[in-house]
Amino acid sequence: MKYFLSLLTLFLCLNSVQSQERYLTKNGTITFFSKAPIENIEAKNQQVLSIIDTKNGAIAISILMKSFLFEKALMQEHFNENYVESDKFPKATFKGAILNFESISNTPSKFQVKGTITIHGESKEIIIEGLFSKTPSQIIATGDFMINLDDFKVKIPAVVAKNIAKNIKVSFDFNHQPFQK
Amino acid sequence: MKRFSKKAILITVLVYLLIGAFIAYKIANKSHLDISSTSPQISIEATKLIDEFVIDETTANTKYLDKLIAVNGTISSIKIKDEKGIISLKTDDDFGSILCHLSNEATKNISQLENGQSIQIKGICTGFLMDVILVRCEIIKP
Repeated sequence: MKYFLSLLTLFLCLNSVQSQERYLTKNGTITFFSKAPIENIEAKNQQVLSIIDTKNGAIAISILMKSFLFEKALMQEHFNENYVESDKFPKATFKGAILNFESISNTPSKFQVKGTITIHGESKEIIIEGLFSKTPSQIIATGDFMINLDDFKVKIPAVVAKNIAKNIKVSFDFNHQPFQK
Repeated sequence: MKRFSKKAILITVLVYLLIGAFIAYKIANKSHLDISSTSPQISIEATKLIDEFVIDETTANTKYLDKLIAVNGTISSIKIKDEKGIISLKTDDDFGSILCHLSNEATKNISQLENGQSIQIKGICTGFLMDVILVRCEIIKP
């Protein structure tokens, strides 16, 4: 009986380890928006990879700079070639942890994420607030925050400096699902 | 030497200004590459493509990023998110696939596709995360 019980415990443990620990999305959305006198600058990336480890609330996000699509081809070209230099720095990343991860419920509520964001090869500690909700089949995270281009050494030529705001609004929308190979 | 009248000079300057403005406008509003009418620069098998990224991402980036490439493969999943079709192509890699984000036009015909079908898709390669990502994809065949 003892043997059976320990076997059962072991089995249960194994089972719980095997149950979903990682939630991920390969098509998270990130948009950024900057209001400018002549024309607004807006781009959307729908191929963002975001992985959440439910053991500890760790979150890792990878973003391909070339996946930001602009309405105007020229803007996209300038963004990649002059501003974020995406040939040199093809990815932006975020690594951090969702604070109080255990208390996320199925109703969206505010949580903070603390971590390091890296854009254009420059890293910065940041705290982002977002709405999180969790069910067995998905973890949803949405929200927005501001970034300052100077923090990431993104240089803006003097000629257009007036047309481009230093502070850019970044919005995110991720729908993570249990990871299945 | 005949002197130009003020009017003539004014008109000439105006014409130049107009031409300049027109060119500036054209450049500022130049359109994105028309994928459906452009033939791909590179044609490759799905597995071969992901292998190149897994083995040496930097080299693969210089080779494929921003290029219009055609990929041959077998459909492993089809889904629609925000009204846009996303097709994954099977590879021999354990985790990764080729993720093809379809154009609005191509998404309209997505219902004719099914899992396991072999397909050739062209799109712009934007890089490698877990998967190799192609955007603004069009279906070449079937």
